[in-house]
Amino acid sequence: MRLITIPKEKYEDYRLKVMFNCYKWDPQFLDNNTIAKYALVISKKEHEELERLTEDMDYETRKAEEILNEHLEITKILALPKKIKKELKAMDNYDKDKHIRLMRYDFHPTIEGKWAVSEVNSDVPGGFAEASLMPQAAIDILETNKYWYRNFGEILTKAIATKVVSGGRIMLVHCTSYSDDRQVMQFLGDKLKNMGFDVIYAATDHVRFLNQEAISILSGNEGKIDAIVRFTPLEWLIDIKPKHWKGYFNTNTISCNHPIAIYAQTKRFPLAWNMVEKFRGKFTTWKQLLPETHEVKEVKNKSGYIYKPACGRVGERISIKEACKEDEYEKILKDVKKHPKQYIAQKQFNSKPLVSEDGEKYHVCIGSYSVEGGHAGYYARISQTPRIDSYAADIPVLIDNEK
Amino acid sequence: MLGKDIYKIWTPIEANWIQWIRPVPFVQMKDQLENNEFCNFTIPNIHYIKENSMNTAIIVDLPSYNSIKEGIALAKLGFRPIPLYNGTNEQTGATPIIDNHPIEIGLIWGALELEKIKIGINAPPVFLLDSNRMHRFKMDVSTFDNSWDIYAQDMPSAEYFLKNGIHKIIVRGEKIQKDLRKILYQFQKKKIKILFTDGYKEPEEIIIKRPPREKNN
Repeated sequence: MRLITIPKEKYEDYRLKVMFNCYKWDPQFLDNNTIAKYALVISKKEHEELERLTEDMDYETRKAEEILNEHLEITKILALPKKIKKELKAMDNYDKDKHIRLMRYDFHPTIEGKWAVSEVNSDVPGGFAEASLMPQAAIDILETNKYWYRNFGEILTKAIATKVVSGGRIMLVHCTSYSDDRQVMQFLGDKLKNMGFDVIYAATDHVRFLNQEAISILSGNEGKIDAIVRFTPLEWLIDIKPKHWKGYFNTNTISCNHPIAIYAQTKRFPLAWNMVEKFRGKFTTWKQLLPETHEVKEVKNKSGYIYKPACGRVGERISIKEACKEDEYEKILKDVKKHPKQYIAQKQFNSKPLVSEDGEKYHVCIGSYSVEGGHAGYYARISQTPRIDSYAADIPVLIDNEK
Repeated sequence: MLGKDIYKIWTPIEANWIQWIRPVPFVQMKDQLENNEFCNFTIPNIHYIKENSMNTAIIVDLPSYNSIKEGIALAKLGFRPIPLYNGTNEQTGATPIIDNHPIEIGLIWGALELEKIKIGINAPPVFLLDSNRMHRFKMDVSTFDNSWDIYAQDMPSAEYFLKNGIHKIIVRGEKIQKDLRKILYQFQKKKIKILFTDGYKEPEEIIIKRPPREKNN
């Protein structure tokens, strides 16, 4: 795995292309440029390994969520938000063949020469356009045919087209006030529209459910919906008033993702593994890749552990001391003490930074997608600190043709 | 001209501060120049500042494209206009809370004006915001909510301002809105002076009270 530099004289063109042709509408975060000046090249061998590990973990995850859904008594340890817990029973009609399952597993190279997985983005993984269009933009700028990439957008839309009736109405449910949500949906929407689907951009409360079927109430776009692609996280959805969101949990309308995703989305998912194994669940690949994970109280006074919020996203509130800004670290510890069930303790792995051609060191997180159990491409970010958060830069992943 | 060409006029590569210009309205632009007959693009007179001072940044928080007009007027005084508009367009056929299209028209108009103005590469910034952004009133649940907030991450940090010689920020608007208040409070904590003007009176220094969310920290 290596970083290759986008030629300096071509970088501004590349950045513009990424913003205007690759749906990257948030190119700056505080003082940080979020479009990397590099591309990440992985070898054929690394790609094959990541592909296999992703598919194996995905199999284990989907099997586990079915078991958890059938045995709600073992979900207690997940400490899911009360409002979600109340709706779990409604998911007893979940049929995996009806819906589209999308996940992204975050891999990190370690100094031991292995991979570590920090989490699965089970509910609403992002980075769609970055994983689909940025690699081609980089290949064009580098003027090379040495690399290829797996186009995530092609795979996801193909999976949608397999299940949704031709020309059907697809609602892209997201927080309409956030342009960084819209950029993800707009990429997908434009692609689906080109395939002949009727696309609606809307918010969670624009959906009502009648006889377990979704209906749009968005002005000028009322009527039956054939599929929902949701980008609003479940833990935000349940705060919406009035409570029309309940229907998402037992709808027969094709959903990507269905709320079944919540079981693996919580970082407390590994705490349920022992019990899932009693029902023939297996976590062989997960255990090989995920650092030891415990309840907060079990690691009291032990060094080498970090705390992660159960419902955290984009690296937020993870207690990696060297990556925390100002008094953030102390604030996290205070919150962990106050709400231990809302966190997990995890053995910190030693991320191995890559060194760029200009001598800069960068930590890497390679998000590896799965769609319906198959590997579906990569979304990667680099950062000068081991925590990959909103300050990180997006980097296209290219696969070496030869090695 | 395409949105990308308009964006390039607003963002000359060598200039400071341009990295914070949000591409959102530019990406959504269509060729709307011919539809601008309802917009009044008279450049206003600026009464509250005579010329640029290298240690002062301005935030213009006025409704819709009025902030662009004022940004162009300030560009003539030597400031670098930095549009921070982040609102998305509505789903076709839906009723939106905010009409962002006049801002897109304003940015096209502004680009043509900017081409006539020479601004120094290290010119202090004037950030442009639409004060309608936080209108949250929905006539009906079926309305498309494209209101938006400005967040700390959408602007430079206090450290960046100070490093670039900015010690004062003037807010020009009708009031200081809730979202901006949170950001300005953090700047104030880092010893950046905050001033306010309604556009007529001289800017006066103000003290931003700790926003409610901050109280728990």
